[in-house]
Amino acid sequence: MEGRADYVVKRTLFALLTVFVAVTINFLLFRALPGDAVSGLRCQHCTIQFKAALRHDLGLDKSKWEQYKIYLKQLAHGNLGLSDVSHEPVRGLLWDPLKNTLLMLTLGTVFSIIFGLLTGVVAAWRRGTWVDKGSLWTSLAFYSMPTQWLGLMIVYFVADRIGLPHGGIQSPDLGILGNPSTYDYWKDRLEHMILPALTLGLVLYGEYTLIVRSAMLETLGEDYVLTARAKGLSNFAIVRKHGLRNAMLPIVTLIALSLGFIVGGAITVEYVFDYPGIGLAIVDAIDKRDYTFLQGAFLLLTISVILFNFLADLLYFKLDPRVTT
Amino acid sequence: MTIDHPLPAAPEQLEELSAEGLGERRTPGFIRSAILTQPAALVGLGVLFFFVFIAIFGSYLEPYSIHDKTGPVYAPPSSAHWLGTDDGGVDMLSLLIAGTRVSMEVGFAAALVAMLIGGAVGVISGFVGGIIDVVLMRITDIFLVIPDIPLMIVMAAIFGRSLRNIIIIIGIIYWTSTARLIRAQVKSVRERVYVKRARSLGATNNRLVFKHVLPQVAPLLIANTVLMVALAVFAETYITFLGLGDPSAISWGRLIENAFLGNAVLNNAWWAIVPPGVCVTIVILACTMVGQSMEDALNPRLKVGHLSVRRFRLRPLGGKLDSE
Amino acid sequence: MSREPILSVEDLHVWFDLSGGSELHAVQGVSFDLRPGERMGLVGESGCGKTTTILAMMGLLPSSASVAGSVSLDGENIMARGEDTVSPHRWKDIAMVFQGAMNAFNPVKTIGSQIVEPMELHGTATGKAARGQTRELLELVGISGDRVNNYPHEFSGGMRQRAAIALALACEPRVLLADEPTTALDVMVQAQILELLVRLTRDLGLSMILVTHDLPVVAQVCDRAAVMYAGEIVEMGAMSTIYHDPRHPYTRMLFGATPDLLGDADVISIPGAPPRLDREIVGCPFAPRCDSAFAPCATVAPRRMETSPGHEAVCHLNDHVVAKEPA
Repeated sequence: MEGRADYVVKRTLFALLTVFVAVTINFLLFRALPGDAVSGLRCQHCTIQFKAALRHDLGLDKSKWEQYKIYLKQLAHGNLGLSDVSHEPVRGLLWDPLKNTLLMLTLGTVFSIIFGLLTGVVAAWRRGTWVDKGSLWTSLAFYSMPTQWLGLMIVYFVADRIGLPHGGIQSPDLGILGNPSTYDYWKDRLEHMILPALTLGLVLYGEYTLIVRSAMLETLGEDYVLTARAKGLSNFAIVRKHGLRNAMLPIVTLIALSLGFIVGGAITVEYVFDYPGIGLAIVDAIDKRDYTFLQGAFLLLTISVILFNFLADLLYFKLDPRVTT
Repeated sequence: MTIDHPLPAAPEQLEELSAEGLGERRTPGFIRSAILTQPAALVGLGVLFFFVFIAIFGSYLEPYSIHDKTGPVYAPPSSAHWLGTDDGGVDMLSLLIAGTRVSMEVGFAAALVAMLIGGAVGVISGFVGGIIDVVLMRITDIFLVIPDIPLMIVMAAIFGRSLRNIIIIIGIIYWTSTARLIRAQVKSVRERVYVKRARSLGATNNRLVFKHVLPQVAPLLIANTVLMVALAVFAETYITFLGLGDPSAISWGRLIENAFLGNAVLNNAWWAIVPPGVCVTIVILACTMVGQSMEDALNPRLKVGHLSVRRFRLRPLGGKLDSE
Repeated sequence: MSREPILSVEDLHVWFDLSGGSELHAVQGVSFDLRPGERMGLVGESGCGKTTTILAMMGLLPSSASVAGSVSLDGENIMARGEDTVSPHRWKDIAMVFQGAMNAFNPVKTIGSQIVEPMELHGTATGKAARGQTRELLELVGISGDRVNNYPHEFSGGMRQRAAIALALACEPRVLLADEPTTALDVMVQAQILELLVRLTRDLGLSMILVTHDLPVVAQVCDRAAVMYAGEIVEMGAMSTIYHDPRHPYTRMLFGATPDLLGDADVISIPGAPPRLDREIVGCPFAPRCDSAFAPCATVAPRRMETSPGHEAVCHLNDHVVAKEPA
């Protein structure tokens, strides 16, 4: 069993290495900007002397290598710097949007995983029938749609018809007549979450259905499925006991690899629905050229994705007894 | 239906996949016959040719100038403006045609960049092997995990806002899966008998790569590049939508952005929203159909399904043979 | 042997739908009997229809297949209503020894749980009793009972094959169909597995059909052999008769052919390739590869002739034998 312990150690080291590379890329990319955090300052007392002093304080007069070390040190203390616009700590600015994004993202992802799994399994099981063809083309179509466009379409064609809000996170009239109850508050929140989550969920649904279907097809062609049939298992039992369990291996890997896509989708969806999450904050920062915030947000997203990939590795480890390296 | 694997397989699967189904040396007509025998691939190819044609000859086809107000603001489709006008009174059809040019240009150019980088890394890694292989693949793995769209947004925010930069950014972010795929392929080609034979006859490495390895890997590389075009068109709409596109270029992504910023929804102007997205969706579908059919033909990996709702049928003896 | 056959296959045909609407006639009228306690070999090159034959008998063909003919177990035609009539007997009366070295076991489940599965499904044993039986079965095939909770990848190729045999015995069947049980194993292990199969069939009174491309293996293990070519049985009879007096050139060439020492494929040194089965064959299907072919072979299909009691062959070389066609 030594080999299996090695796997966990190796994946941990790989995740740490990836975080380190991401941090370094982050540092290098933002140092490639013309000027620095100080040169853009415009204020009355911003004399050349003041700027020089500020540069000294921030370590910007040191060599790149020194700056890199300072950056790493600051990060180690969880310090992501001050926003170029509001001059508040970026870490604090990220917190609220992160909560909003996580809620919406979870809703959308859970929706798509559940329906993607169901459709993918049924399509593979009924391979070649109209059920299969229909779901294959539907999911291919959703998979091919630009997320922001699907969002616009839903705003245009769906939102009013089913009477769901398609902008912001809270109704403007909520709480005008006294404090809303907890129930009303969350109901309102959820209503605002549904359409962005649905948009994201539909695009992901397409992708997951395709992933699950092809993984299931591959698995159902394996010899042990024939063995299971010979032993007398029903179709349903084969799918449940032998198909899905084994197909989960590629599914876990592929879903983990699609996290970058999910995060990207979340950014544009939040923009379309004016939903105040990380994505909207990023769009705002791009608009205002708040590079320090952008840097912090990118790091946060990257590290979350690396973390989830690492968790997927551990899940894979649990699912597959063969894994040794 | 041939599109059974519209998504890139996980890295470790790629290795297994391309190791099989490659027993013999492929003849040059292989790709052609693989496409021509699959209806989905043919349709996809037709669609792609159509859009490439529009992209090349678009400037002759645009009914109006895309820089001038040629009608009322948000005019609905009419005989004068087939797809109506946008928030500036510019003809939508002309914009859509102009957008085709830019979107296809970005799509193909970025896919080419990804193909060159990914192909080079894959060939070097697979052919040279050893420590170089280990290092290159470790780097590839790391970039596979770093989320591509956020990285693209950040890079575009820093370097972007010109078409050339956007092409390069998309290209240098999307090379990883190509590198993985090609490496696995090169490794198996390298082990094949005729390459070994050529080597024992004293062929140089350059000659081996260009005369023997590349021609064998090329079909898969092309299939992969076609899939990459889809990703790149997609990525361009993302970047542009977030306001990071080339301000002077009209692309499909830009049209979607315009519809959003120009409040097309409030103006009930569906004609400003629907067409650009439909074009993107169709091009991506077409690329997926072509690329996937080619990959499927190159990597026949689906075995017989042992599980099916339908079982074998019984047939009365004698009856069938007569009816044939 | 005078006893009634336990299993009787009569005029079995299998067709596969091909893409493009054509068909492949994979099994073309196979008939044979299997008597209690008998070990019969089914031999031929890959693609000759031997595996398709036994999969058809188990009712395990995919939906692209259609089947005609009868398979009788104790006189009852279990093919009468397809899946409905086969499934009650599958694994309970007729079980299959899969190629254990391949993926016959699900890699993410323990060997033990996979052997317990059919017992519980068919109700022959449940819970603790089933687990106890599984240990006994493993011991019976020469694996320590303590390894029930191991995963397939923790077994060697030979052990996986033994486990596949244990799996086949789970519901105490009367007939074993063994599909290339020794392929991909090294020579030493091959011999042990064959010995195990012989011992088990003898001790438990099982009948067995051994499917292989390796005629010498059949000669070691079986009482009777049927040689298949292009979907047909071209020669069948007692092993000793076939060995000493083969009546089909193909059988003779199979004996002469040396199997690949690595044992991983049907490397048989008979020049040429079998005919395609998606089109009609004129004359004798083996004629193009036959070293004794003469005038009628190219145009007239040879008839099945009984060259001596219990020994039949399908070859024009036997035309001079004034014998009756087998009923």
